[in-house]
Amino acid sequence: MSAVDYSQELSVVEGKPSLRSIDDVIIKPLESKPDKKFYIALAVTVSMLGIGAISLALSFYYGTGLWGNNNPVGWGLPIVNFVFWVGIGHAGTLISAILFLFRQKWRTGIARFAEGMTIFAVITALIFPAIHIGRPWLPLYLLPYPNQHSLWPNFISPLLWDVFAVSTYFTVSLIFWYVGLIPDFATLRDKTTNKIKKLIYSVFSMGWRHSNRHWQHYEMVYLILAGFATPLVLSVHTIVSYDFAVSIMPGWHTTIFPPYFVAGAVFSGFAMVQNVLIFIRKIFNFEHIITLNTLEKMNKIIILTGSLVGYAYAMEFFIAWYSGVQPEQFAFMNRLFGPYAWAYWIMVSCNVIFPQLFWFKKIRRHIPAMFIIGVLVNVGMWFERFVITVTSLSRDFLPSSWAYYKPTLTDAGILIGSFGLFFTLLLLFTKTLPVVSIAEVKAVNDDAQPSHGGH
Amino acid sequence: MADSKNKSGIWKSLKEYYQDPVVLKNKTNEFMDGVTDDFDPDELSKVSRRKFLALMTASAAFTATACTDYHDKGEVIAYNDRPEGVIPGKPNYYASTCDGCAVGCGVLVKTREGRPIKLDGNPDHPVNKGKLCTKGQAGILELYDPDRLTDPLRDRRKVSWNDVDAYMVEAFAKYASEGKEIAFVTGENNSPAFGDVIAEFAKKYPTVKVYNHAAFSEKNRRSAWKKVYGSGKYPAIKWADADVIVSLDADLLGNEGDMLEFTREFAKRRDAVNGADFNRFYVVEGGMTLTGANADYRIRVNPQYHFELALLVLNQVAMNLGVTLPSNLAYRKSVTDFELAHNIKSDKVARLITDLLKNRGKSIFYVGRDKSEDLHMVANYLNEILGNSALYNFKCAHTDYSTEDISVLVSNINRGAVGAVLHVDVNPVYNYSGNTGYEEALAKVPTKVSFTLNRNETSEKCNFVLPVHHYLEAWGDIHSRENIYTLRQPVINPIFNTRQSEAAILQWADNSTGYNQDKFHKFLQNSFKKNVYAKAGTTLNFKKYWFNALHDGIVMLPANETVASINVEALGSVKTPKTNEGFTLQVRESYFVGDGKFANNGWLQETPHPVSKVTWDNYAAIAPATAAALGVENNDLIDVSADGNSISLPVMIQPGTAENTILTEAGYGRTIVGEVGLDVGFDVYKFGSEKLYSNVDVKKGSGTYDLVSTQEHHSLDDESVKDFHRIRGIIQDGTVEEYKKDPKFLKHHEHDIFSITDSVEYKGVKWAMAIDLNKCTSCSACVTSCNVENNIPVVGKDQVSRGREMSWMRIDRYYSGSPEEPVVSNQPMLCQHCDNAPCENVCPVNATNHSPDGLNQMAYNRCVGTRYCANNCPYKVRRFNFYNFRDHFADAYYQNDLTYLASNPEVTVRSRGVMEKCTFCIQKIMDAREVAIRENRDLKGDDVVTACQQACPSEAIVFGDSNDPESTVSKYREHDLGYHVLDLLNVRPNVTYIAKLRNTHSEDA
Repeated sequence: MSAVDYSQELSVVEGKPSLRSIDDVIIKPLESKPDKKFYIALAVTVSMLGIGAISLALSFYYGTGLWGNNNPVGWGLPIVNFVFWVGIGHAGTLISAILFLFRQKWRTGIARFAEGMTIFAVITALIFPAIHIGRPWLPLYLLPYPNQHSLWPNFISPLLWDVFAVSTYFTVSLIFWYVGLIPDFATLRDKTTNKIKKLIYSVFSMGWRHSNRHWQHYEMVYLILAGFATPLVLSVHTIVSYDFAVSIMPGWHTTIFPPYFVAGAVFSGFAMVQNVLIFIRKIFNFEHIITLNTLEKMNKIIILTGSLVGYAYAMEFFIAWYSGVQPEQFAFMNRLFGPYAWAYWIMVSCNVIFPQLFWFKKIRRHIPAMFIIGVLVNVGMWFERFVITVTSLSRDFLPSSWAYYKPTLTDAGILIGSFGLFFTLLLLFTKTLPVVSIAEVKAVNDDAQPSHGGH
Repeated sequence: MADSKNKSGIWKSLKEYYQDPVVLKNKTNEFMDGVTDDFDPDELSKVSRRKFLALMTASAAFTATACTDYHDKGEVIAYNDRPEGVIPGKPNYYASTCDGCAVGCGVLVKTREGRPIKLDGNPDHPVNKGKLCTKGQAGILELYDPDRLTDPLRDRRKVSWNDVDAYMVEAFAKYASEGKEIAFVTGENNSPAFGDVIAEFAKKYPTVKVYNHAAFSEKNRRSAWKKVYGSGKYPAIKWADADVIVSLDADLLGNEGDMLEFTREFAKRRDAVNGADFNRFYVVEGGMTLTGANADYRIRVNPQYHFELALLVLNQVAMNLGVTLPSNLAYRKSVTDFELAHNIKSDKVARLITDLLKNRGKSIFYVGRDKSEDLHMVANYLNEILGNSALYNFKCAHTDYSTEDISVLVSNINRGAVGAVLHVDVNPVYNYSGNTGYEEALAKVPTKVSFTLNRNETSEKCNFVLPVHHYLEAWGDIHSRENIYTLRQPVINPIFNTRQSEAAILQWADNSTGYNQDKFHKFLQNSFKKNVYAKAGTTLNFKKYWFNALHDGIVMLPANETVASINVEALGSVKTPKTNEGFTLQVRESYFVGDGKFANNGWLQETPHPVSKVTWDNYAAIAPATAAALGVENNDLIDVSADGNSISLPVMIQPGTAENTILTEAGYGRTIVGEVGLDVGFDVYKFGSEKLYSNVDVKKGSGTYDLVSTQEHHSLDDESVKDFHRIRGIIQDGTVEEYKKDPKFLKHHEHDIFSITDSVEYKGVKWAMAIDLNKCTSCSACVTSCNVENNIPVVGKDQVSRGREMSWMRIDRYYSGSPEEPVVSNQPMLCQHCDNAPCENVCPVNATNHSPDGLNQMAYNRCVGTRYCANNCPYKVRRFNFYNFRDHFADAYYQNDLTYLASNPEVTVRSRGVMEKCTFCIQKIMDAREVAIRENRDLKGDDVVTACQQACPSEAIVFGDSNDPESTVSKYREHDLGYHVLDLLNVRPNVTYIAKLRNTHSEDA
């Protein structure tokens, strides 16, 4: 591993590729036929999706009783999965909007892909609120629509805020993503020789001609959307955390939840982006666009957010002790030593201990190592949601109603299905849209912009 | 020119092009001449287009509606010919008599449109006074049990009753002429009319004989009484007058004797709110029972040594009072030695003796029914020398209806002297599945008959299985106490092709042509005339008297107070039983499935055991120390061998059990029964018919068996969760002494809680409940009452194991103290109807909200089932329909046209995916409101009695208007002992609990 000179600004794109080669390398997956490996991967993810679909069909037919949920633990894996996937959906918009506002050029290589992941993760997440309810044929009741009973949803319920927050986030992310794609659609339109593709790309590129005026409007819209998306990144998980924080359950009723959830979401989102990009850059030969430096920067964010999460864990304990409220204190002692201690320690080691290895530059820049840590972070973050949701509910105020929650096979099937859905969409994405923003990468290529480099 | 005229330039023919006038004319008319001649608008239907569309829409809508069968659950037939006294939508009540056990409580049957839907106690009955135990209340489900037999069977084939009659008459005549016995085996049957029926039968078939069979009965008490006092009519006890009650292994508050009577009288002396002078309750027992859980002092002694303890007490008392005992009753050991030998802490036996001596004439030493006759005799003597006979009520003495014991029948059969055995609603093959040889003997009898509701182990061995009426379809009478005579009347037409046993026997006795359903009704009237009317000395004519009696369900008979005097000589026969080292096995009757009789009742199977909270099973309860010594955990199987019979039983580590003692309950492990009771638990009758076995061999077995309970078993010595119920203020308790010294002793730690928001003001009635923990014994009558009233489904063992039981009312049990000597606290828990209900603000669809009269409501139709409300409920009283439980339980066992009749039509049957919880019996509130409006007055809090309140035998539950400062519930709310569970959360619950006081000595506090 060569030494990196941090005193100089690093090139975002390595090797100063020609503009044409950038076009070619990014478009290549779209213009070439999928190979065997792609089909194998797709077969795996679609099978996982199928398992989820069967589990869901059974749940719809027989009832939520097929899951492990019981009387104290009203929320089980579906809510854990929901929070997990919403969390995954955080990195994309953070990378594309917040890092954009901070003029972080290194984001260009990964922004498109991360945004795509956001969309797919939120789609996956949105399935859960709909299916976890007892009567999944009535989700319409959650929407405010005028009706003959003059019945409105309960606007003080955090679950309702959730519906609005996540759907707004989804809408804005989708628009943001699409706006970013317009110049690339135009490039694709110009490049492709296939008539049908040309038609589709023409429609989506909305007559983009790469004209100066187009670019001016585009930059402004993109900036506004970034500004608009930025608070949403923070609000959506804040509101998801309200589902817990607004309740009165010990272990849920905590004011630290909003920032803690956002930090956790960014943490897991980055880990997931990092994980997937490691494959993408290798398979599609994007190593010079999604550089090791970029990955290293992501790992730095992982260590930052991981430490924030660790701080939050510690603070929860401090506040529980400081509050002097016995049920609160017990809720946290119970996480440490209670029947779900195994889940808690998985969570702590994966989220707090292992990411600290990123203090070592070698590990930060070592691909297999960072991959493993990324996977562990996501395992840990899934368990974080499990610990919060299940442990708190399983032992609350009245010891008489305590009970142990055990997920069932159906629960596992739905969890597998959610991964199946996410990765199926991701695979299809790599073959239908440019996974890296062509236009933006060109703009951050060395010498693409006037600079004082070397002067 | 032509071009300019034809501006459009479109022409269809040359004629048109050249402007042919004919063509032009035709063009102005849409149709050619003659085409429209038939078309006269006046002759058309008058239906306008608008109307036509409306009709089409309506008919489409009707068609669509007609096609759905969602609500199409059969025909609705109007009451064209309305029976007198029946108002559709209004219940009718009829008095009858419960046949669950020998007590014969008076019941009020609530019927709606001719179908019984709920059983409550008859308030006029002096024993149960308007209350009914769990088993009695759940009896309604047996009427509608889909597994009921519908037709008579001969060798398992359907036959007609006429064929049965013909066979029986012929067979009985043969046996009578051969001098062979015709044996009737009945349960504890104290019906005078049944006796008359047998007498009638005996006129024709003189070889008839009646045998008594009950797996658990007061047989020993009766026979001991007979020996000592010369009569089998043992008296009732004026419990409320007793200052000290000692129960020697008697489950008085559980399922022994007149449980409802004892509970009521006991609770009278525990009524802290109304300033009761507390009695002191000692319980000596080996295994933890509901009664022991309610004791002030619980003395844990291996049941083998109970006789010794009685002797010790007797000797100490006699010594103090200077009474000389017969030499066979002498006991040399000192109190301290006994206490040391049995590891009894804090000198409890000495205290017991002192208290008995101090309260002579105002105490009772009461022995459990399963104890030996000798022990009962010792107790009788002890009470006599203490002067406690002052508390005996001879006027209300129990009737002596004992007949020959079934063991005589076995020997008679083996002699070949029996021609026919007729089982009347009994199941001895199951109850004697041990080594009593009943089954083998029965096989030798040529004619075996079983009168029964459902198939059972005995009916399986009989060649005739005759289905009987449920008691709600039948006539009958019970003479339970010397001064109490009750009637039973049918409240529904027989649902199936059944006969009540008395009617069938009468038919065989008179052999008349054509069976008449009214036969026994007439007979009963005559019997009543002879047994009751003639002795009543009334001036009313018979018809009027009869109808009055039927209306009341009860007739108080004149009874004379014959005080019996003791015959001390009889005690000379008392022998001290031998004691053995090694394990002791005690078999008790199950709290809810009885001796096995109620095994097919899902409600009863699912009612949690009052102490262990285990449902759907029995088990071997052992002490924690014994479990450690055996190296077993909960759910491990142990092999228990007694009297040469070995059974594998799952372990339930029960704090408070005496060491080397196993307590198990009979009534489970039925092999031939309906679908609900099949293979539930273990048949411990296989040990034999004894109730106590010593020298039992216990070994760790192989494998485990899953017991399910509604409460987790937290180890008592787990410091991290110990005493949470006290730390969190869930249970507040103290001693009578503390309370007397400082009535506000619980209020000193109270915080002032304020809210930053304004609280809602409630005008008019505001509903609230109060539960007195001093009175609550956790008998679970409220649980069943709530289940029946509110159509609560049975979910089955697998769902209970997943924590999905549905009961709205549950009774929480908490332990404190040591695993050896736990202090038990019970707490009925139901929706607290909080003013600041945390469930309400989190529901995204407003399905749960607050009513202006302070109720936390559930709109089932609006509920989508997010379960957020249940999560946020600190009391965890919300229940979610994870499945359509009626469909899910045992292949939709309770989802059929018959069982649906048991549903309360006033309460919605909830479907899958909906949250539910206690409503404070909103249907009863609305009913009372309707009455108040009709009578043009304000609704009063006392107008409403909730189902749980109605059922509570100890009157621990009070309900009413908390806005009315005069109401009882307000008095409870304001009481010094009143507290709210989890007060600190400021959710402002509307259920007030009255802190539990224990009447221990001050230094034990």
